[in-house]
Amino acid sequence: MNERANPFSNRPVEIEALPDFRDAELNPVVASYLRHKVATTIGFWGLFIVVSLAAPFLPFVDFNLSKYPAAIASVIMLLSLLHARLDARHRGWALREHDLIYQSGVIFRKQVILPFARIQHVETLSGPVERYFDIMRVKCFTAGGQSADLVVEGLTTAGAGQVRRYLLEQIRDDETPAEADPSEKVTSGDDV
Amino acid sequence: MSEPVESHRRESTGSVEWHRLAPMALVFLLLAGIQKFVRENLFMFAGAGFGVAVFDFLDAWKLGLLVIALLLMSLVGTMIFHRRFRFRIEDDAVRVRRGLLEKKELRVRFARVQSVQIGQPFYFKPFELVRFTLETPGGQESEVELPGIPRHLAEDMRDRIVGLQGTFAPVADSEVESGEEGSEPDRSHAGIGLYKASTRRLFRHGLSSNQIWLLAGIAAWFFGSFSERIGEWADSQGWFRYLDPIPYEFLLLAFVAIAITVLGTLLLLSGVLSIIRFHGFVLSDRGDRLVGIGGLLDQREQTVKREKITGLTVKQSALGRLLNCWHIVVRQTSSAEEEMPGRKKAFIVPGLDNQDLALTEQIVSGCRFPDGFQRVDSRFRRVFCVRITTIALVLIGVWMHLSGNGLLEALVPLSLLGLVLGAVHLRWSQWGWTLNGRQLWVRQGFLGRHQDVFDLDRVQQVQLRRSRYQRKHDLANLVLVLPQGPVTVPYLPLEDAAELANQALYTAETSTLHRI
Repeated sequence: MNERANPFSNRPVEIEALPDFRDAELNPVVASYLRHKVATTIGFWGLFIVVSLAAPFLPFVDFNLSKYPAAIASVIMLLSLLHARLDARHRGWALREHDLIYQSGVIFRKQVILPFARIQHVETLSGPVERYFDIMRVKCFTAGGQSADLVVEGLTTAGAGQVRRYLLEQIRDDETPAEADPSEKVTSGDDV
Repeated sequence: MSEPVESHRRESTGSVEWHRLAPMALVFLLLAGIQKFVRENLFMFAGAGFGVAVFDFLDAWKLGLLVIALLLMSLVGTMIFHRRFRFRIEDDAVRVRRGLLEKKELRVRFARVQSVQIGQPFYFKPFELVRFTLETPGGQESEVELPGIPRHLAEDMRDRIVGLQGTFAPVADSEVESGEEGSEPDRSHAGIGLYKASTRRLFRHGLSSNQIWLLAGIAAWFFGSFSERIGEWADSQGWFRYLDPIPYEFLLLAFVAIAITVLGTLLLLSGVLSIIRFHGFVLSDRGDRLVGIGGLLDQREQTVKREKITGLTVKQSALGRLLNCWHIVVRQTSSAEEEMPGRKKAFIVPGLDNQDLALTEQIVSGCRFPDGFQRVDSRFRRVFCVRITTIALVLIGVWMHLSGNGLLEALVPLSLLGLVLGAVHLRWSQWGWTLNGRQLWVRQGFLGRHQDVFDLDRVQQVQLRRSRYQRKHDLANLVLVLPQGPVTVPYLPLEDAAELANQALYTAETSTLHRI
């Protein structure tokens, strides 16, 4: 018979032996993410509260607002601040050899695992307030439509740039997905 | 995916000629334009009271003039669009120039095409013209539509796209066996005939499809919007005078009879529409692609590359369960599950019965319909039942307290609660999943049934979602995002969900499939 070595192999895979995504240690979001959330929450609700409190004192305008809107807005603002604190605590991300893991949510927790081989395009985004706090988002586009696009929040500007470069490198190397090797160490930045 | 092309490059490839659409394409473009205008404006016209206001403001002849003016404007617009429309077939792509006010040029590489459709509306038939449509993974609409091009040109383009040398002959009726007889499919040079739908099967498909409820909904909403006006008109005609002396019971009977007649007519209409849409439907296997041909007024030939199939959806509506009628939707990237006007065309195999479900294996290799499904955790049912019952009992209690009603009066809401709890149980019992090698089947439904099947290597993203209750009881909702959309398996034991997620990730990450 043919004694040449057969390059093809088809060994069975033990399901239990597969790497578990839950074993990955998640990087927490940077501290400035929480500061950004607090600032935007206070900015939005604070403005509403100030307007509703100041309205009765405006000259030439007979505008007597009840105190209830300010009180309700204050409660919502406090709840939003509490939510932001818990959200920053539970949010995290990790890069493995072949995928990106992202966790978010307070009451409903969501863990998303996105294989590099399925990423079509990566971009970084930041608004003016985010730039002030030196944070940036990384958006990964996939073929699953808008609902399948993943936005990773809570990275520093430098960290987001590194993640983006790393992901783009992995996308280029996806011809040999099983042999991909992370060539760039990505750091998470400050802890919350 | 379309690619913008610079003008100097366009001119440099002068060896291939630019084609124009045939004059008959004007009819198609005009009809398509009117259809789009009605579709996009009907809801605003009837729903927001705008239509009633227009009818109040304009006389019949003014309204007629307005319609004629709109038609003339569409005709002129269509003529300009038609005159500017050009397309060119290159070695590996098709290039289209079009636009009314803004000129647009598209270049679609054949390698990106996931589905090709050749349609022939009845008014194109005497001229041997067809409508050629290409679909790529990007976008919700068809990427390229060439209406009114010669059939031989369309077939040549189709053959280039699917990588054939020369042309292939259409499948003759004799080459496929009707599903009625259930005998072995015939093999021929044109491919293997997999399934042929008889008129009876198509009528049954129409009866059981959800199209009837869509029609009923649109009709009810439309007449609801104009009900006041119809009532005034009936009053002015003096019709209500005749109703006064008629006994109430008789009116009730007449109303029930009318409702049954309307329902029957809608069912009949739905069946007839299905026959018109799929008339003579034949599904054939041509090696690396699937071809479905059917249609009475608009005969369509849909060609799908097998490598571009991302899954199947096997569906049976509530009425379909009574009539033993299924249909299969061949899924591709961003493909629709239902056929909606103006959206990508869905590849539907209609009118199947239980015996035909083996067809899934012939459409996607190894995709055998499973014998059974694993149920999701029973806490799915418990959590919904407990929450709904608690809220309902509190509301009923408050209502009894405020109104002073007794337990007898509460029987009606309590019976309704019983029905809702029964529905929750039904919903839970329909959820199920099973892994057949690398293929995952997920079943869901309520009165009807809906099964999704896909290869794990098609998974784009894995999500694990857990509420506070689920975290407490070690449960999780597993969401597998596919190119055609997400598929959810709720209330899985955490270990099962994690195992399935790890397997999906391993399969997707070691897959040699090219990125979509």
